[in-house]
Amino acid sequence: MEKGLGIWRCVQCGTGFFPERFLCPECRSAEFSRDRVHQGVIEEITTIRHVIGQNEPKLVKVASVRTSDGQLVLAGLRSDLDEGHAVDLFEESRAAFAVKPGTSP
Amino acid sequence: MVASIIGVGQSAYVRHPQQGQTVHVFIRDAVVAALKDAGIDAGEVDGFAVTSHFSLRPDKATDLVWRLGLSVNWLLEDTNGGAAAVNMLGHAVRGIESGAASVILVVAGDATGLAGFAKSSLESSTATRDHVTPIGPVGANGRYALLTARQMKAYGLAKRDYGHVAIAQRQWAAGNPLAAYRTPLTMEEYLAAPMVADPLCRYDCVPVVAGAQAIVLAHPDRVPRGRAPVRVRNVRQCFNYDHQAGDGLHTGISTFADRFWSEAGVSPGDVDLASIYDDYPAMVLAQLDDLGLIPDHDLARYASREIGERRFPVNTWGGLLSAGQPGGPAGGLNGISEAVLQLQHRAGDRQVSDAELAVVTGYGLTMYRYGGAAGAAILERM
Repeated sequence: MEKGLGIWRCVQCGTGFFPERFLCPECRSAEFSRDRVHQGVIEEITTIRHVIGQNEPKLVKVASVRTSDGQLVLAGLRSDLDEGHAVDLFEESRAAFAVKPGTSP
Repeated sequence: MVASIIGVGQSAYVRHPQQGQTVHVFIRDAVVAALKDAGIDAGEVDGFAVTSHFSLRPDKATDLVWRLGLSVNWLLEDTNGGAAAVNMLGHAVRGIESGAASVILVVAGDATGLAGFAKSSLESSTATRDHVTPIGPVGANGRYALLTARQMKAYGLAKRDYGHVAIAQRQWAAGNPLAAYRTPLTMEEYLAAPMVADPLCRYDCVPVVAGAQAIVLAHPDRVPRGRAPVRVRNVRQCFNYDHQAGDGLHTGISTFADRFWSEAGVSPGDVDLASIYDDYPAMVLAQLDDLGLIPDHDLARYASREIGERRFPVNTWGGLLSAGQPGGPAGGLNGISEAVLQLQHRAGDRQVSDAELAVVTGYGLTMYRYGGAAGAAILERM
């Protein structure tokens, strides 16, 4: 896992995006640079308990996390946390994961 | 030329399609039923629109036209999920009004089976495939669970408020012989149901079925004798309304609702029934609110009184939640078909008295966190 979540930042207006955009909806620029966000706050949590075709699926916790840069992202939750709690962000296989600050996934 | 809907048809809805029950077969059955219902010979069809989000591939619309023995001058294949049916309806109306075609079949169906649906939903877009599915089997349920939790906080809703939607629709489904589930559902059963993804329980999630719908559009004078044609009084769509930058509590309908009603010359209070795309109860309430049907944005009161007590008819065929959802797209077309049956006063045990005006919606194409495609139409008995 890589620390932080890779985002795409518009070179012209500075707005950050996740997932990637190809034209900035704010200023229409086509130029983006890569950046990383490292912190966020949990806004909602769910636990996936039923999966089609699986009798006893492994429980998967997913959170909507507001990053410190403002994006609302979907993140796999790897710590026992609640709504409103701060998290550190990690990235694996191009997806976001969230953990208790100062811990590793 | 004026366009109207003159016939509807539905295939069987099957929870577990057997070998040979492909989407082509279900679409054929729906097409045959719709043409018979409209009193139209297949040779008269010169326009064709289809959506089959998950299971028509590798075939395309032209392949399907060929296999159905049709030859057309106007063709459309739509891929916009639960909003595809309303989108196709709008294009078909304009196709007839412009003279590009005179008789258009609009068709939707899917036959993935449960495993195929699950696999398809994990790869429904590059954003889903690359940034959501690596987290785990989040699918649509996980994302709308988060959205429902947000709606509950924003509007002060409780779990039982969503139960009113599911229970009322099950009551309506009792009058629909083609619905997948018709047994009455109680609030106790709803609240005790196993969680799928908190706060969504089993009854908040649509049963995936295999099946297809079809409608026939033509000049109103082609309607079978003794039956009222149904005019599309207005139709509006919106795609990528907020760049997935919002909270998902409103849909693209919110961007055009005022103009939608004003162009039609009617108001939300004038409609007799609504077919609202119900992939999840939260989205029923969100779309009704976006349309302006919920006074003071009091979603809880509307859910318990207007929907729960059936003071206002919503999803009178049982909706996707009880009648079943063939993939995604057909779900949009079965709401349109139901509105047509109601306005033609052919809805049997579930008929709404003196139905003259209906509003129908489509919503879907979950791009990252929520649906980015939405549409609405006002249908009127002529």
